[in-house]
Amino acid sequence: MTARVLSHRGLPEGLGRPLIGLGLLLALAALGSLLLGAGEVTPARALAVLAGGGDDEARFVVGSLRLPRTLVGAAVGLALGVAGALLQAVSRNPLAEPGLLGVSAGAAFAVALALWLGASAATLRVAVAQLGALAGCLCVLGVARLRGLGNDPVRLVLAGAAFSALLAALTSLLLLFDQRAADEIRFWVIGSLSGRRLEDLLAVLPSLALALTITVLVARPLAALALGERVASGLGHRPGRVRGLVVLAVALLVGAATAIAGPIAFVGLVVPFAARALAGPDIRRTLWLCLPLGPLMVITADIVSRLLVAPSELSLGVLTALCGAPVLVAVVRARRLPTL
Amino acid sequence: MSPSALPRRPFAGLVLLLGLATGQSALATTVKTAHGPVEVGDDPQRVVTLYEGALDAALASGVVPLGAVTTRGGDGVAGYIDDYLAAHHPDAALAIVGVVREINLEAVLAQRPDLILAPPQLADEQYALLSRIAPTVVPLSQGLDPQAWKAESRLYGQALGREAQMETALAEVESRAHELAAALDEAEVSGDASLVRWMPQGPLVMSDQLFTTGLMQAAGLTINDAGLIPGESAHSDPLSLENLGRVDSDWLFLATLNADGQEALEAARTSPAFARLEAVANDRVVAVDGQLWTSASGPLAAQAVLDDIEAALLPR
Repeated sequence: MTARVLSHRGLPEGLGRPLIGLGLLLALAALGSLLLGAGEVTPARALAVLAGGGDDEARFVVGSLRLPRTLVGAAVGLALGVAGALLQAVSRNPLAEPGLLGVSAGAAFAVALALWLGASAATLRVAVAQLGALAGCLCVLGVARLRGLGNDPVRLVLAGAAFSALLAALTSLLLLFDQRAADEIRFWVIGSLSGRRLEDLLAVLPSLALALTITVLVARPLAALALGERVASGLGHRPGRVRGLVVLAVALLVGAATAIAGPIAFVGLVVPFAARALAGPDIRRTLWLCLPLGPLMVITADIVSRLLVAPSELSLGVLTALCGAPVLVAVVRARRLPTL
Repeated sequence: MSPSALPRRPFAGLVLLLGLATGQSALATTVKTAHGPVEVGDDPQRVVTLYEGALDAALASGVVPLGAVTTRGGDGVAGYIDDYLAAHHPDAALAIVGVVREINLEAVLAQRPDLILAPPQLADEQYALLSRIAPTVVPLSQGLDPQAWKAESRLYGQALGREAQMETALAEVESRAHELAAALDEAEVSGDASLVRWMPQGPLVMSDQLFTTGLMQAAGLTINDAGLIPGESAHSDPLSLENLGRVDSDWLFLATLNADGQEALEAARTSPAFARLEAVANDRVVAVDGQLWTSASGPLAAQAVLDDIEAALLPR
């Protein structure tokens, strides 16, 4: 019933139920994110705050610490999940992951460069990280397309890994030159949601909105591209322009996520993977499921990162890497590597 | 000359040459180091220090080294050393021979040292190389101990043949700390204090076993490390902002590796969790230079730290 109502508004057939289920799970995770933490504010005290009461300390912890990081986590998960799905579709490669394709390394390098040139971090990061992400993405896709390698999944990943390693080396070089930048960036290169403020989120909202608008516009041509360039051209799409727009959207999304939370690995790989398992390979269906799945994964990982080593906290980037790496291995080892 | 006549060990000839250059009195004193007894010259003229504590000790005993390593997180020696050199040895030219963890052996060799003062945690491989350049003095590593710097300084002083000057410098620190403690007591300034390094995702709480926290205790403050420091670590993992209250002491010392402590304070103030602290509300946050407070040691550093404590807690 609900599914039918939703499908009237343009939702692909059969997605209503998984979307509602995931939405409920996401709501649960968000609630857990508000109730659980490394501190002394217990779930019961946090619940009292949500009910409108609660003591001063609990109100502060829930309202000023846990709420912002929950919202930032949701935005980061959404951005990375959608970016991963787009990148995998446009590169026709199920292993394409922003972190594996030089996008995160590009963003990190750009931030290191800005710090080295004397910028005092906070204010510049968003624009700089986004430019770096865009440049990194363009370089890898460019390298991979040289001599017609674009359709070979393994070579694309190798190109991305090599390029990321190159950028990481350059980043290290810069940091060796400047110990101050090294100190500022040391905790930045492993992503985290702790200490992020709502203002940071507001700063990247415009680029998130722009990227999501582009995503809505390119979803259909991108699905046509999956049938082959000639079919897409025959349907009236321009493959080159579609690819360019997708790369721009990915760079904006990953740049925004990296700018507020630092590099967070593997979310962009795992989320589209799970979405495809639930909804099939059509990008228009995958994208819908990435919307709740991305935030769900990041928020859940963030909750675990708070609880594992309380009263300190683990970095979110460490945790997603720990969970995501086995998934990457599983995908690669799967009997047939799905081509998109 | 046939190739076989060339010296096989390139440094051996140099060491011999230096031995001759320093004359009859060379190799006259024996000091007890982590690598056994080491013979050093009576009055070393060309000293290279590979440790911030050694540079400090050398200057405190009246010897200006030819080369030194950078301070942690900086491109040169610590700011307080620069200040001291400008005031007492304005024409001293101190060459940078690497960073503590990565010594540039060629730069050390280029100084043709007759004495090398090395850090307690010097790797054996490094010692093997350095000791072929010049007698190398490595203090016995004592783990984390707020008093360890005194034994290190004494050993460096002995190696420099300046034991008396070193004892004077150490005694001055001692009496200065007593005076400060008495003055603070008289002004009824006391209580507990935390030393943290501020990170955007939460502070690193520094151990109460450090050089600096030892001096804070000597001045009569009680160190609150929030019970977070495991074993031999110098500081905790980044503390969750939810638990920031644990380091809320009467005095909060905020260190940064940037020389400008004020900058770190401004950064911390943008965090709502920080702004809620009692110490912040009471304006009892002391921004301090991390180069001096979390990296340096030695008699001069001790005086500078005590200066900072006095300036913050006893404003004129």
